[in-house]
Amino acid sequence: MSTIDRPDAGPKLAGEAVYGTDLEAPGMWWGALVLAPVPHGRIRAVDLTAARREPDAVAVGVEDLQDLLGPGERDRERPLFPAEEVVYPSQPVAAVAAPTLAAARRIARAVRVEVDPLPAVSDLESLFPEWPGSNVATSSHIAAHVHAGRGDVERAFRAADTVVRETYRTASVHQVALEPHACLAEVTGSTWKVRTSTQSPFGVREDLASLLGVPEASIVVEGTWVGGGFGGKGSSLLEPYALLLARASGRPVRLALTYREEFLLGRTTLPSVIRLDTAVTDGRISARRVRLLLDVGTSLPGRDFATGYSIGFLLGPYRTPVFEVEGYAVRTNKPPFGPHRAPFAPQCAFAVESHLEEVARRIGVDPAKFKADHLWHEGGTTPMGQAVSGFGLPSALQAARRTQAEWSRAAPAGHGVGVAVGFWSTGTGAGGEARLLLSPTGLTILQGERDIGSGSVEVGLRSVASARTGLPPDRIRVDYLDTSKAPFDTGVFGSRTVGALGRAVDEAAERLLRTLGERLGAKEGARLAVQADQLMATAGTVRRPVSELLTPEERAAGGLAAEGKHYGRSGTIDESLVRDGTFYPYTDFSGAAHVAEVAVDRETGAVRVVRYATFHDVGRVVDEASARAQVEGGVVMGLGTALTEEAMWRDDGRLSNPSLLDYRIPTLTESPPIEVTFVEGFPGAGPSGAKGLGEPPIIPVPAAVASAVRAACGAHVTELPLSGERVARALRLARD
Amino acid sequence: MSAQRVHLTLNGSPVDLPTVPDDERLLDSLRWRAGLKGTKEGCRTGGCGACTVLVDGESTLSCLTLTHEVEGSAVTTIEGVADDPVGRRVRDAFRRAGAVQCGYCSPGFVMALTGLLKERGTSVAMDDLLEELSSNLCRCTGYVSIVRAVRLAREANP
Repeated sequence: MSTIDRPDAGPKLAGEAVYGTDLEAPGMWWGALVLAPVPHGRIRAVDLTAARREPDAVAVGVEDLQDLLGPGERDRERPLFPAEEVVYPSQPVAAVAAPTLAAARRIARAVRVEVDPLPAVSDLESLFPEWPGSNVATSSHIAAHVHAGRGDVERAFRAADTVVRETYRTASVHQVALEPHACLAEVTGSTWKVRTSTQSPFGVREDLASLLGVPEASIVVEGTWVGGGFGGKGSSLLEPYALLLARASGRPVRLALTYREEFLLGRTTLPSVIRLDTAVTDGRISARRVRLLLDVGTSLPGRDFATGYSIGFLLGPYRTPVFEVEGYAVRTNKPPFGPHRAPFAPQCAFAVESHLEEVARRIGVDPAKFKADHLWHEGGTTPMGQAVSGFGLPSALQAARRTQAEWSRAAPAGHGVGVAVGFWSTGTGAGGEARLLLSPTGLTILQGERDIGSGSVEVGLRSVASARTGLPPDRIRVDYLDTSKAPFDTGVFGSRTVGALGRAVDEAAERLLRTLGERLGAKEGARLAVQADQLMATAGTVRRPVSELLTPEERAAGGLAAEGKHYGRSGTIDESLVRDGTFYPYTDFSGAAHVAEVAVDRETGAVRVVRYATFHDVGRVVDEASARAQVEGGVVMGLGTALTEEAMWRDDGRLSNPSLLDYRIPTLTESPPIEVTFVEGFPGAGPSGAKGLGEPPIIPVPAAVASAVRAACGAHVTELPLSGERVARALRLARD
Repeated sequence: MSAQRVHLTLNGSPVDLPTVPDDERLLDSLRWRAGLKGTKEGCRTGGCGACTVLVDGESTLSCLTLTHEVEGSAVTTIEGVADDPVGRRVRDAFRRAGAVQCGYCSPGFVMALTGLLKERGTSVAMDDLLEELSSNLCRCTGYVSIVRAVRLAREANP
């Protein structure tokens, strides 16, 4: 099945691969965080005296940042340790290290933390009960505001044949990478080194420089194998604390989260309230109004990525002549909002897809046809005025509708078949660089990322180099370097690894082939092949062993080197439509149509997904097996978002289910058969037109499941997840 | 908290752990005393299966097992099935099925499936195997390739 063998599979299966949690060093101490006892409050004391009196222990708190950071920097919005105010539950207020984990935990628990509680703000709707009727813009809880539109929305709504107004609510979901965050830090002389399980070694280096006031040149970040990322390991979390403890103790310090802390401190998707109004005239969408309240926890003000990027997904990939979108990022006493596989896009797709299905039903039109009739096409423009480049979603939806029809005919009573779409863009604007080294025996890709499991590095980069050079993949290997030696790259996230870093590898390979071509006396670049176990370069009619084409210096340096870089460019939007905040253009347009068949228990509302089919516009398939694996994994992760996953933040600000026993992710027996189909021929931003595929598979899932639930029993659920309780309640409403 | 000596057979060899605190979990003894880090630490509450080992041949969550409970027992970890024919067959099936992504759940799955196949043989029903394995979580694969691996491992000739 696998097209290219994964070199990491063997060591991982044998238990030999070293992850962040496995790091250990001679003389190492163990760290533990001291966590705030209340979600919100004014700090009276964080007393580290007793901890510091321990013979074998160190403790660090806000005062340990004094010599590192300038006066202005200490007061920044998101300090490592709060000086005056605790702003989210279990916020770290100090850290300790000791020779054993048990000792570190005992000492951490004994730290006297006195905080005068303040009321915690947690629930969006209790904060703004009158929204959208009331003006929330002036509230101190607003971190960001985005607002855009085209045309006279009020007039279009007044003139419409049908107007549908609905409110959707979505839950907080956690990445649940099985490996908790973990790192090992050591400070030697002026070098601050941390080994860590991360999706972005260079991103962590940048964070550390800013948080600790240490120049980037003094910081070395070395990645380990990553036990799942899904966005949760995209920036620093534990690394600065571990480094402070290492500096204080003069020893290597290991710091890891327990799984409970993983839920409490993880930066992830937080709840939202979405208001969608649609006007229809002559069977077509004439106007839409989209309003969003998105909980961003204690995110920094001005960080409007969460709203400015997401709100486009609430319009959906549909032609909309007149519209208004307005979103507020709302600060609450929760950890900062963080990326979670296609951040907030599955929630947006759930709302807009369910809503347009309701609109279609009200006017008596088949929902999937109604959507197909409004989809963007290549050559058209988005509502924000961006030209739509290669876009295979119309073809994908067409294929999905055929499967929907076929499955609907065969579905037994109690089953329902639903269809939904989602769109995405490859994050190649975040750039990267790679270096290649061609020796007489093979090609090495030198780079700074780690494969987080998707195969985008282990398989993706090797596939790209293989396709360009002609070398078989078994002659190509990936070398993992730390940030002091690796060429820069942004990170393994945003579905960008093959799209951006792959383009850098592709460019480097092209340069390498050009050099070889010149040495062969040809005008065109060379191609590589293996003949009788020897690497051969061919250009035109000339063919010679690679070993004969390298200079003695190159041979001494391990081979012929070439470098490539890729910093992708996005399209442009019509800025005259923007009234406030920042809206982001897309780099390319990918999309997927999903079909779900479910069985619903009409008594309990329990939903079982019976089978599932996906149609993904991927531009070009780089590696068939890895691509399928991304889709299968994304779909099942999406089933969790759809049906069971919900981090329950109580009104008092505390999290009531910080455990894998109470926060339910899909298990093996809940995973349905999944048919995977790829739509090619609509090129994207990656090598040879490939599009990113890490995130898109999760996007349409909650919407497709909700559509199927409605088809099965008539329940129109407007809240995620579709728990049995919510489905049963919607069923009662549908009956009444 | 008192500490006591624990004797066990670890991956076929007798091991003597001199001072193990009464509340120490087998997971921690394996990883930090015996240096066998192939057994992964996940949730530590019995919810993910990443720490699965065999105790006297039976699939066991090492995070919910006190080290003292295995006094006198035979404990097998992922490192202990490196040359085991069933272990090799299972790993080979996972590799061929493309069932390894981040790999953090892999040792736990390999141990659970190896234990089941050793105990029940290849005639065990596929559904029974899947039911038993459903307490091992995987967040990357969606389980599709893992089911394929289980089928391959079950059907392969011993």
